Formats: sequence, C-alpha cells, structure tokens
Amino acid sequence: MTPVLATEALVAGYEPDLAIVRGVDLAVRSGELLLLLGPNGAGKSTLVKAIAGLVPVHEGTVRLAGVEITAAPAHEKVRHGLAFVPQTENVFATLSIEDNLRLAAQVLAKPRRAGRIAALYAMFPDLAARPASRAGALSGGQRQMLAVARALVVEPSVLILDEPSVGLAPKIVGEVFERLRAINRAGVTTVLVEQNVRAALAIADRAAILVEGRIAHLGPAATLAGDPIVAELYLGARRATAQ
Amino acid sequence: MNPQTLLEGLIAGSMIGLGAIGVTLTYSILRFANFAHGDFLAWGAYLALAISGTLGSLAGGLAAPIGPFSFGWSLPIAAVLAAALTAGLALLVDALLFGPLRRRRSAVIILVMASFGAALTLRSLLELVFTSKPFYYTQELQIAMKLGSGMRATPDQLLCLGVAAVLVVLVHLLLTRSAIGREMRAVSENPALAGVVGVDVRRVVRTVWALGAALACMAGVIAGLLVQIRPQMGLDLLLPLFAASILGGIGSVPGAMLAGLIVGVAEAATVALVGAEWRAACAFVILVAILLLRPQGLFGRPD
Repeated sequence: MTPVLATEALVAGYEPDLAIVRGVDLAVRSGELLLLLGPNGAGKSTLVKAIAGLVPVHEGTVRLAGVEITAAPAHEKVRHGLAFVPQTENVFATLSIEDNLRLAAQVLAKPRRAGRIAALYAMFPDLAARPASRAGALSGGQRQMLAVARALVVEPSVLILDEPSVGLAPKIVGEVFERLRAINRAGVTTVLVEQNVRAALAIADRAAILVEGRIAHLGPAATLAGDPIVAELYLGARRATAQ
Repeated sequence: MNPQTLLEGLIAGSMIGLGAIGVTLTYSILRFANFAHGDFLAWGAYLALAISGTLGSLAGGLAAPIGPFSFGWSLPIAAVLAAALTAGLALLVDALLFGPLRRRRSAVIILVMASFGAALTLRSLLELVFTSKPFYYTQELQIAMKLGSGMRATPDQLLCLGVAAVLVVLVHLLLTRSAIGREMRAVSENPALAGVVGVDVRRVVRTVWALGAALACMAGVIAGLLVQIRPQMGLDLLLPLFAASILGGIGSVPGAMLAGLIVGVAEAATVALVGAEWRAACAFVILVAILLLRPQGLFGRPD
C-alpha cells in the first residue's frame, strides 16, 4: 500500500550549505499516529518544517499519497491535504477565532466552507462559545485547540504537529493528547513531534527516533517504551552513527 | 485656530491620509519603509494628466467643466485609468527590484535603500518626460463658496474631501470584511503561518502594492487638482505621509486617515500661526514626538 506521506533521502536545512536533516526515509502509514522523538537539535522540527514547505529541501523527495510535493510552496501543500501546526505562534493572535477558521476554510470550495467550520465548532465547543474573541486572548490550551481546529478545517489526509505540548500545564497536556488521539482514531493520519516522551508514547502507534538528522530507530511505540536502548539513543548519550 | 485654517488643514490632510494608507499597508505587509511611495503619487498625478489631456483632445466635450467643478469628465475617467496604471507601475517595480531582493532575503536596510533608488529613478523619469515645469489639470478659475462660520471652500476642495472619505471607508471595509482583507491581516501578523494556512503570500503582496499605489494615485490627482503637478510633489509629501502612517499606527487604515487629517491641520495651523516656512518642520516635529512618546501610534499595538 502506498504510504500517506513518504520522504525519500530527504536532506534539508535553513542554509544551502548546512544540512540539518541528513537523508531521512520515512513512510507514514494510513491512519497511524507516528511519533518523532529525538534529542534537542536532532532535526525533528526541521524535518516536519521541510515536509510542510517552511524549510528549503536540498535533496530527496516528499510524497503525499504518491504525489510528489517536494518543491510545492507551503500554501499549495495545504491544498494537497497536508496540514501543519507549528510549535509557536500557530494561530493569528490579532484575528478572531472565527476569522482564524474562515481564513483556513478559504482553501475549500465555497459551498463547503460554512459546513466545515460548523463541524469544527461542534468538535471544539470551547471555541464555539466565543467565536468573536481574539485568538491572542485565549489560554495556552485553547490556543492549541484552535491551532488544531484550524488545521482540521481542510479535512487533511495528514496532520503534522510540532511539539503541541510546549508551554502547557501538565493537566492540559493530557487533555490535548487525548484530543489528538481521538482525532487520529477518527481517521486522521497524524505525525507528532514531541519532547514529552512518556505521554506521547502512550498515544502513539509507532515511534521514530531522530539523531543528528537521521532516523536511528523506528518501531512500535509499545516496545519502544520499555526498551533500554531507547533511553540511550533518545538522550544522545552515545553517537548513533560512527563518523 | 480659526475655522478656515481648520478646513484647509482637513482638505490637505485628506490627501496626506490617502497617501499614508499606502505607506502603512506596504509597511505592515512587506516590513520596510517604501520611500518611493511619494513618487507613485507623483506618477499617478502625471498619468492622470496625460490621459485627461488625451481624452480632452479626442473629445472636446469631455474637457468641459461639470457643474460647479473646474474640470470635465476627462479627469475622473483619467483618474480611474491612472490608478490602474500606477498599480501596474508598483507591480513592475516590485517584480524588477523588491521581489528579487526579498527572494535573496535581503536585510530591511537594503530594501529601504533600494526604495530610495527607485524614488530617484521614478522622479528623474518624470522630469525627463514632463520637465520640471508645473502643470495643472485645468485653467478654470473657481470662486470659493461661503460655508458659514467664516469658512470658504471651492467645490473642487469639497469634492476631494468627499472622495477621500469614500475611499477610506471602502478600503477599511475591504480590509475588515472581505476574504482578501482577512488574508492581508494574516500576512501582516505572520507570513510563514499564513502560508501554512493556505494563503498565497505572493498574491497578497501583489494586492497590497496595487491597492497602495492606486490610493497614492488618487492622492496625487487630488494634490494636482488642489495645488499643482510637479515632479517633486511626491518628495514634498513624503515626510507628512510617514508622519501620518506612524502617528496612525502601522497597519491601521482608519489610523492613517485620522493621522493624515491631524498632520494636515497641524501644518495649516503652523502656517497660520508661525509662518509658511515652518510647514515642513511641522511633520518632522510630529514624527519625532510620536517616536519618542508613543511609537506604536494612535491605533497600533505595542510589540
């Protein structure tokens, strides 16, 4: 079966002569929740940003449902069904909740827009209660929910989230992860970058560990959770690749 | 301040406000101060002059004054066509100059310096084609009407005030109610996120250039109608335009218009109370004062 999202020998980085992602082959299966782990600076964020079109790809390809989208600008990737939730500043603080959602819905054909926004409000009653509030006035957890709702407006085939738990209180992190799990179970293939390893492994199907820009380990989340080598790789105590 | 000074200040201020809207929009979306904006204004005035002259010579009836005004239908028609051409000029300058610099991720100061270069080039081209001799849209004389409280204004002046007011309301509605307006606000806050959400940022940038330049053209036509048309007209208005866009708060259309009126009235008061040679200093004093006291402007948000 064709993976929903696949990268092949992907090399990417902000500067043309400095690769942070150094040859990543990753195949995301339909319907799964794939967790991307790795020590700071391993290139997790850069990898998902390169997939989303925010960081230049130097070499390799990105395919969505078999269609190559490597060079497409970010705004076209959304139209292909790839939704990305950045780590910080992931909602428009100066726009209302309603305008944040409407802006995202502009990608859809006109007749579908109102229906999709209504569906998202039904899914996130907290947002429906105050559509005119500026997104900047929301709490951290609500903001994160708005960012996720915004990404879901287009009914993406893949939802990619870059550390959604950053800056949230532990109790809220649990709620956010439960939400993500439910969204994934409803059929949205999800790629999750996280530092919050234990909580994230609990909701993931598979996990990949990125070390120094390459995938050092990939396996079922359940076995990874109890594997001593994971701690070593994850913490980056030993260099994963002999140079 | 007597009512007449106030009225004259408001009339000049409406012109400044229209120009300042363009400055504030390009600044909030492209994040640099475009010093060529005044020259878009001058180009707009000259393009309208050339088109209305051509229309008048093709069909003499178009040059005959409409009702109480000093100009014929050739001028409003020319103004609309010139607005479209000025928008095209701004898009051309962006495609040739600013676009390539943005793609190279040039620093803001490079963009600002490039806009100085564009300003000089555009102004010199006007001098080359039209010489530095002043032009007028019409040679008709107008008698100022009495408006009560000792105020007098010509029908042209009142019309310009009205046109400016209508344009500001339209632009404000476009920004706050339309899909492209929502996209412009999104790009102004966070261009990277706007792309992720599905906004074609390059299309928004082109829209902003076109809109800003079309408004600059209208300001230029008003300046040409009420004062005169000279290659330096944009340069002379540059400082008031920047004072108004910063006083209004970068990105705020109502702010730019209100601040334009404030700058216009302050200039008129300066001329009346201190002396005409201090007019230019007035905008400068306002600019320095806002930057020191309230850098976010009247309607801006502190960063």
